[in-house]
Amino acid sequence: METSETLFIQYFNEESRPLAFYLQKMSGYTAAKKALAMPQDDIIAEMKKSNMRGRGGAGFPTGMKWGFIPKQSAKPKYLVCNADESEPGTFKDRDIMRYIPHLLIEGMVIGGYAIGAHHGYIYIRGEYTREAKLLDRAIEEAYEAGYLGKNIQGTGFDFDLTVHRGAGAYICGEETGLLNSLEGKRGEPRVKPPFPAQAGAFGGPTIVNNVETLAAVPYIIQKGGDWFSNLGKLDKSGGTRLFCVSGHVKKPGVYELGAGTVTLRQLIYDHCHGILGDKKLKAVIPGGSSAPVLTADEIDVIADIEPLMKIGTMLGSAAILVVSEDYCVVKLLQRITKFYAHESCGQCTPCREGCKWMEDIIERIEHGHGREEDLAMLLDISNNISGKTLCALGDAAAGPVMSFVKKFRADFEAHIRGGKCPNA
Amino acid sequence: MPKCIIDGREVEFTPGQNLIEAAKGAGIDIPLFCYHPGLSVVAQCRMCAVEIEKMPKLQTACSTLAAEGMVVKTKSQKTVENQKSVMEFLLANHPLDCPICDKSGECDLQDNSYKHGSAYSRTTEERRTYLDLDMGPVIKKNMNRCIHCTRCIRFGSEIAEIREMVALKRGNNTEITTIDGRPLETDYAGNYADICPTGSLTIKDFRFKKRVWFLEKVPTVCEGCSKGCNMEIHQDNNQIYRCVPRENKEINHYWLCDEGRFNFHYVEREDRLLDPARTKTSGLEVCDWASSIDLAKAALAGKNIAILVGSDLTQEEAAAVLQFKEQHYSQASIYHFGTPGILSTRDDAPEDRILKRKSKTANLNGLEKLGIRGFSKLSADVTGLLIIRGGRATLPADIDGVEKVGIGVFMKDQALMFSVILPGLSFAEKDGTILNYEGREQRIRRALQPPGQAKGLSEILMMWANRKTSHGAA
Repeated sequence: METSETLFIQYFNEESRPLAFYLQKMSGYTAAKKALAMPQDDIIAEMKKSNMRGRGGAGFPTGMKWGFIPKQSAKPKYLVCNADESEPGTFKDRDIMRYIPHLLIEGMVIGGYAIGAHHGYIYIRGEYTREAKLLDRAIEEAYEAGYLGKNIQGTGFDFDLTVHRGAGAYICGEETGLLNSLEGKRGEPRVKPPFPAQAGAFGGPTIVNNVETLAAVPYIIQKGGDWFSNLGKLDKSGGTRLFCVSGHVKKPGVYELGAGTVTLRQLIYDHCHGILGDKKLKAVIPGGSSAPVLTADEIDVIADIEPLMKIGTMLGSAAILVVSEDYCVVKLLQRITKFYAHESCGQCTPCREGCKWMEDIIERIEHGHGREEDLAMLLDISNNISGKTLCALGDAAAGPVMSFVKKFRADFEAHIRGGKCPNA
Repeated sequence: MPKCIIDGREVEFTPGQNLIEAAKGAGIDIPLFCYHPGLSVVAQCRMCAVEIEKMPKLQTACSTLAAEGMVVKTKSQKTVENQKSVMEFLLANHPLDCPICDKSGECDLQDNSYKHGSAYSRTTEERRTYLDLDMGPVIKKNMNRCIHCTRCIRFGSEIAEIREMVALKRGNNTEITTIDGRPLETDYAGNYADICPTGSLTIKDFRFKKRVWFLEKVPTVCEGCSKGCNMEIHQDNNQIYRCVPRENKEINHYWLCDEGRFNFHYVEREDRLLDPARTKTSGLEVCDWASSIDLAKAALAGKNIAILVGSDLTQEEAAAVLQFKEQHYSQASIYHFGTPGILSTRDDAPEDRILKRKSKTANLNGLEKLGIRGFSKLSADVTGLLIIRGGRATLPADIDGVEKVGIGVFMKDQALMFSVILPGLSFAEKDGTILNYEGREQRIRRALQPPGQAKGLSEILMMWANRKTSHGAA
């Protein structure tokens, strides 16, 4: 088993949380001190060198994103941390906020300085009540010690940080839906352009980054972009990755490995010790529930952005959902589709109407009332949603349906022909 | 002007124009639901998505600005397939009962379904249903017909300046409604129904009274205030069924206030006096035209006369009155009246930030331009009044104690203050010119035949002038 340097996981315990630990054991806030003395362009250049690709799901190069922010702006600029972590199967950001909140805070101070923002928001999902409190406490500590607020560490840079709790909507993990929610509006994605870097929160230029992305920033500043980039084995994908493995594995949980250093098979069988009860593997969803599913013979693939994209799925938020042979994939798809139908904001016609329609059809199939024409119709409906909506929620709902029906067609047909779920 | 290519044709556009407007300029219609030129762009119905060269995904024409050299395909296979799919999605939950829907015949959903949809449905699922909502005196909502275009929500917050329409819940369960189901408060509620692309929001005053394809649409101008909003009168069989706004980007854009929209009802009131009549102690007595005119002349004979004209008269009518005065009552003074407290255009001002103005008659500016001054109070030497009005001007107060003859539109209770009434025409029954507050000359057009025995003002004045009065009054 290959081992690699890790940034986060060794600190995932209660001891690491206090500011004192962060200062003593993690050289806390020295990266911020260093960064605040650097020209802003140098920080962005270092981020570009690091090959950090956004850890929220889209994998957009972070340095390039920061580079989009206009130098001059009549309206205040903002840095927003997307801590909504709403993609089913994802639970890595929670551990960062729970155990090393100061790493995130320091990352935000540096990010805020780099883009010229003096106010940051951490938009945290409503269900993370404990983490919201822990963040608030950490922010309070940072203010008291002069790591946040006016004239941070005597550098003359001011940065305020506010935790904003969501109210429980998947769509508020979409960056413009998040910004609307942050502004007190309905959590509905906006028409783009303008992109947030031009007009984001409260109309000001805004950068939205994932928790894991921002938490890596102090390391990048401290040890350099090249060092970070070399933690990954592939071109254009640097650093380590937090994988969230759940489902039918013996040892589920968060794993941190160098980007591009493991295949799905190694992750499941070596790191997670294989399938529960030593059963056969049926399916793997490699990037949160919206990622197209893979069959058991497709898992010898490097678990990173490009390799997964090449085989028609995505790394997404690196949430690996593992399904064993005795679990009904139709039931699983029904559950996934129900989620997206429930979470559709309702703005775009195809998503609003189509997700519920797909849910109804899949439910019908699972309960043995499916019809021969249903599978063709499901593919047709999902195709009519995919790529035809304002935001990616439509795609998130369509991808699983297309891939499940195509890759596990026999299971669906067995339900339809047998008039019941064979596993029931 | 920059050019783009739409459906193989070179199309000129103004910078900043979206593809819908650019295409419209070239006579190419892109089907749509949520886009409205008077409201912000939300790009959520997805009906207007078109194929653009060099872009992998379809782009919504409402949110895409035309650009030099852009190649747009509004009828490509991908575009057409998307339109068909959006229609299918929209009809998955919409009732398929056009024959009993009041919007039928002028429904965007129905029209687009015919043009771009499929005649067959693949859905077998139970349809989503909601309870109807009575939204106050103007609008009734049938949420089952709603396609969530949010035009009403945007109209409320962006035009009517009141956030009363909202979206509740989310996704497939989204309900477009008022906050807590409260009645609508805006004075512009009728527009909600105008812009609704389906039969979800309908006007109570109109719904189920007439199939829209029977209506004759007459372009005219609202007489409700000095703004001069452009509108259409919709009539059938000499009866007005409704008034709707007519686009004029320089005045009212796409909108009309409820006061103006429903103003027409007085025209058809049962107690409107449609026969020449005189007042006796027992009440009104209907006369023929000839003797009424004789009676009117006799009533004013030998009196020191003032002529009061409503600022709801057209320029042509007012000019005819001035000529009539010069020829027959040259000693008489002449004033205009119309809105209590508004004696001249200097008193006129916006009443809200949307359309309404304080002068509640349409031609105050025109009458002032003809040199007629506002009526403030009766001078002591006046012993006879000739009052001429359309139907909108408020009759002046404190004019008791003098002989009065009325020409124009009066209700029966108003008629009792006159010795003689000669029934005239309302704004809907005549052609003419009016000048709005900013001096814009606009035409009102006749939508109805004169009702009863009512006559046009010039005809009445001509009869008055030509009739010998030798046989005196009864």
